[in-house]
Amino acid sequence: MAEETLLSDDFLRQLMGVGEVDLMVGIPTHNNAQTIGATVAVVEESFRQNFTRDRVVIVNVDGGSRDGTPDEVLKSITETHPSLRGLTSLRTIHRITTRYTGGPSPGGALRSILAAADLVRAKACAVISPQSPGLDTNVVKNLLQPAYRENFDFVAPLYSRHKFEGLLARLVLYPMTRALFGRGIRELHSTDFGFSGKLATQCLGEDVWGEDPVRKSPEIWMVISAIASGLNCGQTFLGPKVQPATTSGTDIVTAIRETVGALFWCLESHQDFWTRVANPEPVPTFGPDHELTTDTVRINRKRIYELFQKGVTDLSPILKTILTDQTRTEVERIAALDERNCRIENQLWVTVVLEFATAYHHNVMNRDHLLQSFVPLYRGRMYSFLAEHHSSTPDEIEKDTEKLCLEFERQKPYLLETWKAK
Amino acid sequence: MKDLIIQGLQQAYQNLVHMISVFLPRLVAMLLIMLAGLFVALLMKYLLRLILRFTQLNRLSEESGASQVLRNAALPTISELLTRSLFWVTWLAFTLVGLSVLGIPELHEQISRLFQLLPEVFVAILILFVGVLAANFLSRAALLAAVNAGFRSPRLWSGSTRFVILILAISMALEQIGLANQTVTSAFSIVFGACMFALAIAFGLGGRDLARQTLERYLGDNRKRDKEKEKEEEPSPL
Repeated sequence: MAEETLLSDDFLRQLMGVGEVDLMVGIPTHNNAQTIGATVAVVEESFRQNFTRDRVVIVNVDGGSRDGTPDEVLKSITETHPSLRGLTSLRTIHRITTRYTGGPSPGGALRSILAAADLVRAKACAVISPQSPGLDTNVVKNLLQPAYRENFDFVAPLYSRHKFEGLLARLVLYPMTRALFGRGIRELHSTDFGFSGKLATQCLGEDVWGEDPVRKSPEIWMVISAIASGLNCGQTFLGPKVQPATTSGTDIVTAIRETVGALFWCLESHQDFWTRVANPEPVPTFGPDHELTTDTVRINRKRIYELFQKGVTDLSPILKTILTDQTRTEVERIAALDERNCRIENQLWVTVVLEFATAYHHNVMNRDHLLQSFVPLYRGRMYSFLAEHHSSTPDEIEKDTEKLCLEFERQKPYLLETWKAK
Repeated sequence: MKDLIIQGLQQAYQNLVHMISVFLPRLVAMLLIMLAGLFVALLMKYLLRLILRFTQLNRLSEESGASQVLRNAALPTISELLTRSLFWVTWLAFTLVGLSVLGIPELHEQISRLFQLLPEVFVAILILFVGVLAANFLSRAALLAAVNAGFRSPRLWSGSTRFVILILAISMALEQIGLANQTVTSAFSIVFGACMFALAIAFGLGGRDLARQTLERYLGDNRKRDKEKEKEEEPSPL
């Protein structure tokens, strides 16, 4: 029923022409004409190398590109490898492209990919971003194989990163998910991931696609849904995450809106599950569990400290409605300290995050405003982390992350108490 | 003489009896109308409360920040406020209709005027209420945006936003009830124009260098360098 409204007649015709497949790779695009050709070529090459006997299809779902991205998808089939098509592989590698409705959004794109996967009865699927700079044939293989051959339902990526990259994941998303949902997925937010046809069908049937957090970060909802349904989740190492080492302040606000907002929303939508989960269990991992690099990067710590300090002062009336008096007083005391002594320790940080989650649940204010109010506090914790681990080794950082996870677990009863309080 | 006095007293007594015989049914009618009004008002209050509970208005009010404003002003929840307002407006309307039954021409005239003004006052209050909500919501949005972007005076941005919206709401409300139409409009135009003029002069004279830098940043060659500088500030969150 969902497919009838989701998929256009032309797309349906193309999918029916393909028939049933074993593997499907979905590539969501929006104005990616420059990179889509190379991405499709890598995926095809991976199919040729690793899945020679399997029925495969590449599905491009486009959000309304104006630079001819869909044309590039189809064009590269003949222009880049005119002689290779279907020759080294025992089966034809199909490429199809469609445009989804409702404007470009990760949620809209994923929904179309899931609908296509459901229709062609794919056993395993992967979503690959055309903007992944480190994409190679192994990435595609590593995302598909656990779902195809090892019966995993969701395959999250793992990357080798700089020790100061991905701090939102390290300080909030990973430890909170591990403590509350009982499964520690390190890269909760990712543009590349794998999943089974079973999970695709299950997620497609959920009535959540109009929700803002799902539209913006569908993969977070998808992995939490998989965990909550008792499905098999795993992680696979994909190599170094190639991305700019640093980014601007605006990106932090967007990142928090999309990821922390989605996680808080999932706490609400899956509260029946996480309130019952007792002890976290390890997530099966293919390859190393973590890998950190320690190259020198330029980070303006002083500015982060100033933004934290000023943010806490200016947002004091707003924080008053979100945090308890005790927590807010402690945050304000730390913000008043000088650069050397300003540290938000694990215990206070976890309390702050959990009180924000509770405030989100109780609708104490507009949810977008609440998430924006979280930014200065995240900067404070980020500053503490940067100052504390300026010269730490990867192992020391990993030990600290473990302590943070345990602190989240220790304070879970506090969240349960405040969650049900109102 | 004596007869005349007795006759006068009889006449006065008859008039009084006549007046009471005319007035008493009207008074009873008025009381009945008021009583009926009380029942209707209570019924409407109950129905509205049910409808508002169904539409989850309180939750929307919490999300938009309206509840916070009401709490700050020591007012009840928005559903309670609306149901109480409906009750009083309905009962007041019935009371005024009842009073008009008494047939006192002066009172009738005043009631007519009050009836004419009542919707205007109600709309003016509504405008003010929406204005306060909008001022609260947008000033908070401005504060958060300014804080997270690292602006120097976030509270100034927030306060200015609140001030402009409140002034606009007050002037619209006053215009609605027809109070000093031209004065209010002129005053608003003058105050708003003066603020903008002052800002323009302050930015043009006091912040010449800042203006040049800002223009260069967005239009000139510094754009690339500025982006590079921005990149050195914070590590990637994801």
